[in-house]
Amino acid sequence: MGLSSVLSMLVFSPLVGIVVLLFMPKSQEKLIKTVGFLFTLPALILSLAAYFHYQAGKDLNDFSVSVPWIQFGNLQDEHNLFSVYYELGLNGFSMLLVVLVAVVATLAAIASIYIKKEWKGFFMLFLLLETGMLGVFTAQNLILFFVFFEVTLIPTFFLVGKWGYFEKEKAAYSFLIYNGLGSAILLIVIMILFSKTGTTNIDALYQTINSPNGPLSSDLKMGLFIGFLLAFGVKLPIVPLHTWMLRVHVNAPIPTVMIHSGILLKIGAYGLIRFGMGLFPDQFDTLAVLLAILGVVNLLFGAYLAFIQTDFKMVLAYSSVSHMGIVLIGLAAMNTAGVQGAIFQVVSHGLISALLFFLVGALYERTETSMIGNLGGMAKGMPIIAGFLLLGAVASLGLPGMSGFVSEFMAFLGLFKAMPVIAAIGTLGIIMTAAYLLRSVLGMTFGKAHRDFAGTLDLKGVEYVPVLILTALIVLIGVYPSVLSTPLHSTLETIMLGLGG
Amino acid sequence: MSSVPASAFLALALILFCIGLYGALTKRNTVIVLISIELMLNAVNINLVTFSKYGVEPSITGQIFTLFAIAVAAAEAAVGLAILFSLYRNKRTVNIDKMDSMKH
Amino acid sequence: MMENAWIIPLFPLLSFLILLLFGKRLKEASAYVGILLTLASLVYSILVLIERLDAPNYVTKADWLTIGDIHLTAGFEVNQLNALMLFIVSLVSFLVHTYSKGYMHGDERFPVFYAYLGLFTFAMLGLVISPNLLQTYVFWELVGLGSFLLIGFYYYKEEAKAAAKKAFIMTRIGDVGLFIGMILLFWQTKSFEYSEIFKAVEAGSISQTMITLTAILIFVGAVGKSGQFPLHTWLPDAMEGPTPVSALIHAATMVAAGVYLVAALFPLFNASETALMTVAVVGGFTAIFAASIGLVQTDIKRVLAYSTVSQLGYMMLALGSAGYVAGVFHLMTHAFFKALLFLAAGSVIHAVHTQDIEEMGGLWKKLRLTGPLFLIGTLAISGVPLLSGFFSKDEILAAAWEGGHPILFLLALIAAFFTAFYMFRLFFMVFTGNPRGNQEHVHESPTSMTFPMIVLGVLAIIGGYVNTPWFGSFLGDWLTEGNEALAHEAEGPVWIMILATVVSLLGIYLSWLIYGKRSISRNWLSGKGDKMHTILLNKYYVDEFYELTIIKLTKGISYLAQFIDVYIVEGLVKGVTGFVQGLGMSGSKLQSGQVQTYGAVAFIGLAVLVVIFALTGGYL
Repeated sequence: MGLSSVLSMLVFSPLVGIVVLLFMPKSQEKLIKTVGFLFTLPALILSLAAYFHYQAGKDLNDFSVSVPWIQFGNLQDEHNLFSVYYELGLNGFSMLLVVLVAVVATLAAIASIYIKKEWKGFFMLFLLLETGMLGVFTAQNLILFFVFFEVTLIPTFFLVGKWGYFEKEKAAYSFLIYNGLGSAILLIVIMILFSKTGTTNIDALYQTINSPNGPLSSDLKMGLFIGFLLAFGVKLPIVPLHTWMLRVHVNAPIPTVMIHSGILLKIGAYGLIRFGMGLFPDQFDTLAVLLAILGVVNLLFGAYLAFIQTDFKMVLAYSSVSHMGIVLIGLAAMNTAGVQGAIFQVVSHGLISALLFFLVGALYERTETSMIGNLGGMAKGMPIIAGFLLLGAVASLGLPGMSGFVSEFMAFLGLFKAMPVIAAIGTLGIIMTAAYLLRSVLGMTFGKAHRDFAGTLDLKGVEYVPVLILTALIVLIGVYPSVLSTPLHSTLETIMLGLGG
Repeated sequence: MSSVPASAFLALALILFCIGLYGALTKRNTVIVLISIELMLNAVNINLVTFSKYGVEPSITGQIFTLFAIAVAAAEAAVGLAILFSLYRNKRTVNIDKMDSMKH
Repeated sequence: MMENAWIIPLFPLLSFLILLLFGKRLKEASAYVGILLTLASLVYSILVLIERLDAPNYVTKADWLTIGDIHLTAGFEVNQLNALMLFIVSLVSFLVHTYSKGYMHGDERFPVFYAYLGLFTFAMLGLVISPNLLQTYVFWELVGLGSFLLIGFYYYKEEAKAAAKKAFIMTRIGDVGLFIGMILLFWQTKSFEYSEIFKAVEAGSISQTMITLTAILIFVGAVGKSGQFPLHTWLPDAMEGPTPVSALIHAATMVAAGVYLVAALFPLFNASETALMTVAVVGGFTAIFAASIGLVQTDIKRVLAYSTVSQLGYMMLALGSAGYVAGVFHLMTHAFFKALLFLAAGSVIHAVHTQDIEEMGGLWKKLRLTGPLFLIGTLAISGVPLLSGFFSKDEILAAAWEGGHPILFLLALIAAFFTAFYMFRLFFMVFTGNPRGNQEHVHESPTSMTFPMIVLGVLAIIGGYVNTPWFGSFLGDWLTEGNEALAHEAEGPVWIMILATVVSLLGIYLSWLIYGKRSISRNWLSGKGDKMHTILLNKYYVDEFYELTIIKLTKGISYLAQFIDVYIVEGLVKGVTGFVQGLGMSGSKLQSGQVQTYGAVAFIGLAVLVVIFALTGGYL
């Protein structure tokens, strides 16, 4: 019983930070940044505690909490009573993502050293965003999930629109419109499910939907699944729904873009796995080939476009499109290897892109540019940043010994079993990934120095913290993937059971 | 006691309401529009009183309600006229066609 | 000893980590860290090799990654081939570590260089003790990374940048072949373990097409790594790296990994005629193709690079002709003499500060140690009798003959002639005649550089005697022990040996006539075949061909994708937003600001609702 309040504390601890920040004077930059950072720590500690609790062999259900929240409908009639519970819980998969959220949020808070104005507002929104993300991954029913999902949208809109670069307003609006449409579809799907089945609890829904005489016709199920696919496809993003994400990646401030590409995109993958695959396994199976093709298109389309970009941020943006293709590929394989690969890719890409975007931010801070052409030969002046940039690039292109390889390998292992021909086309992406990453990173770091880098400082002080922690995690997963695969074991078994094999 | 049937009261109310509505929607002079609105209100008052006497369950409630409505209407007329005054001072006209600032 | 063989790769890894963290403070003392730790690896490897001479194979493994009910393992294996490779790699690595102390002296990034060397050595040693394909692939990529970092060591040079990028991407093309082959094989056998794969192949549970397909895909990986045609172009460019790196990575160890891979998976290849034939043809073609380019190059390192490509082709030809022992044997001797040649070339470059052989000449008197050592290497690679290259090359020719490929045999013979010719061309141009460049400050290299050359020189002479037709084929017997499928009677007819000797001596003689005695004009040949000469000088325009086709195509697709992204996807979005905006515009026209109009509309709406209500009774 004592443990059941842990998740609520975990999710809402950043809100306490907002209250504390309210009472701070606006101009105390250092104080505000420290307080903002400190209030990301409780979530980090609690999520790590949950991880080790699990690794110690204890049950994650200890954390579950379920309290009646909203009730409406005919109060006398049990069958027509709609009740929504406040339910939080963890399974292996969501626990990993909660840890990822906590880690990336803490590191992004450190990256907020680059924020130049209105720190108070920034951190209040930042902490609200963290609560939203933690809630998304711990919510056990769709209504609560949706509420937290929306809570992530609003702060992101302001964080991009107010603290971003260049075309920040445009980026913020296209973010809001695309994601708003996505969540509108999500809401419709959730409401249909709720009205037809009378519950939004994920486990209960699974039982109801997949029982032989379930309340949903198979056409309706297909429709709802496509709804989920669209809603989360915007988030992931699936080509051609990706253009908003490019603008956000280029224009958002560094901490936001770390969170955005590290976590927010992963909500799409989480939703597809947990709700798409979890609730509608048969429909998923029907569309598997389409998904595999979409995945390969994502992979190649992103890779080819990344190959000709002149702005390194754009390269990374398209690289995210490309890497999310691997998630789709893994899922479309519909076997343990593929799904596990997709989940690994979710975590791995979260870490790698957070690292790369942080480095881009550090570079931008020093040189005021992220154009590849302007940065040529920067290894001369900033060898450490250049070194880590190269490390991030090789991690991203799937070099063994780092997390990217494990996920890429498993996703392809899975797909080669299911659809060898599509998989073979997809492997072209492996070559292209190497080509575009080396082209851009070597273009920035190697070669003749395009300008005098003397006097530019290399990585220093607190900037080492995110870089080293992310690097360590990337290598840890690459060398010892069991840190992820053990917690996933039971989750995957459940999913595979749903898929019928 | 020969009684006037309820339908006569209702017809009166209807006619009053229609006149009020017509005035409110078509007249150009704002003061006349305001008067038309009062007409509509009073048409409703007649309805209330009628049903308080001839309703399925006759009771005093309808009449009390009418008193409230009259009081509120008076207050509202005062506020409306005040707004009209200040509008007139600003625009130097009471022509309703000129009062389209809600568009912008 | 053998049960602790896993520790061998960890020494260089430790060196890498130490130098990464403390390199800046250690400065040039970093060299000692690297040298001592690779020496530890070398000693351990020798002990393992000696123990393996009569002990059985040793394999151990542990779970690495679980995917549902699939358990992927990691571990290590010591068998004959692995033990031999451990010895070769750690030896050459140790010597190169020692050599670099002198060669890289004074370089700003000295500790970084040693750190990278440590990383590479770790990966290479890890590669050769891997007991399964997945682990092999992991280290396979890591050696690629080490090679990439070291080629790009002079990162501020545009050529080095381009070469590093090219090396990584071209080998990656090959790696994808290996990747696909490995996964396909996995779904056939449910295991990455070599032993399981061989069992499945032997039991015939894999279809013949599948064996051929996977074997060829895996061979594509080997083609990339070993610089075989058509993925060879990165290897000559890789000479942009420091010379010790060329000796270690691009001559002795990493590029031989492709040969090693084919050798390690030999039972799989052996089960498919087509696959073997592919290996042999690619190898044979590469051997003569690269040798012919080597004839006209003027950069000392590039000549050696093309010679490496050609010799690797030789090894592939041997393996493809089922000459397992011949291939591995040549891999070993080649490691010795080619590393020697590169180190000696490095010593020359160190002395004259140029790589252009047209600017050298007459260095024999000035470099009293390097000269003779270079000559030993040249003699060995040319296949002059009694040196190591003679025995292994003879073995390959015999294998090609026995394998029943007379055309390939002929190709190999011509390649041997070319090799002897261009290697002695190199020797004469560099060491004899009159100095053509500025040679005022030429001096012999320090001991740290000459010592490794001497060791390799000795090995280049005697290394061949472990497997000769005269003193017994000890190496061959040992390598095939316990796996008779590999055994191959390499007792070729005596005439092959004589023919090979005559051919190489002819090559040397011709080269002497042109470049040594100068009784034939240098332009005699190039004048005759002017066009051919230009083609050779431009390396058959392979790079240009790739530039025109593959790179252009890739860029074309990229721009097409951008077109789609900018015009079609964005255009669609613009269309949708435009439509919505237009709808809003026309809607806003209704808003006149006239309250009376609003009221009228509201009233009409109410009236309509009432009518509907009256007609339907409230329900639609």
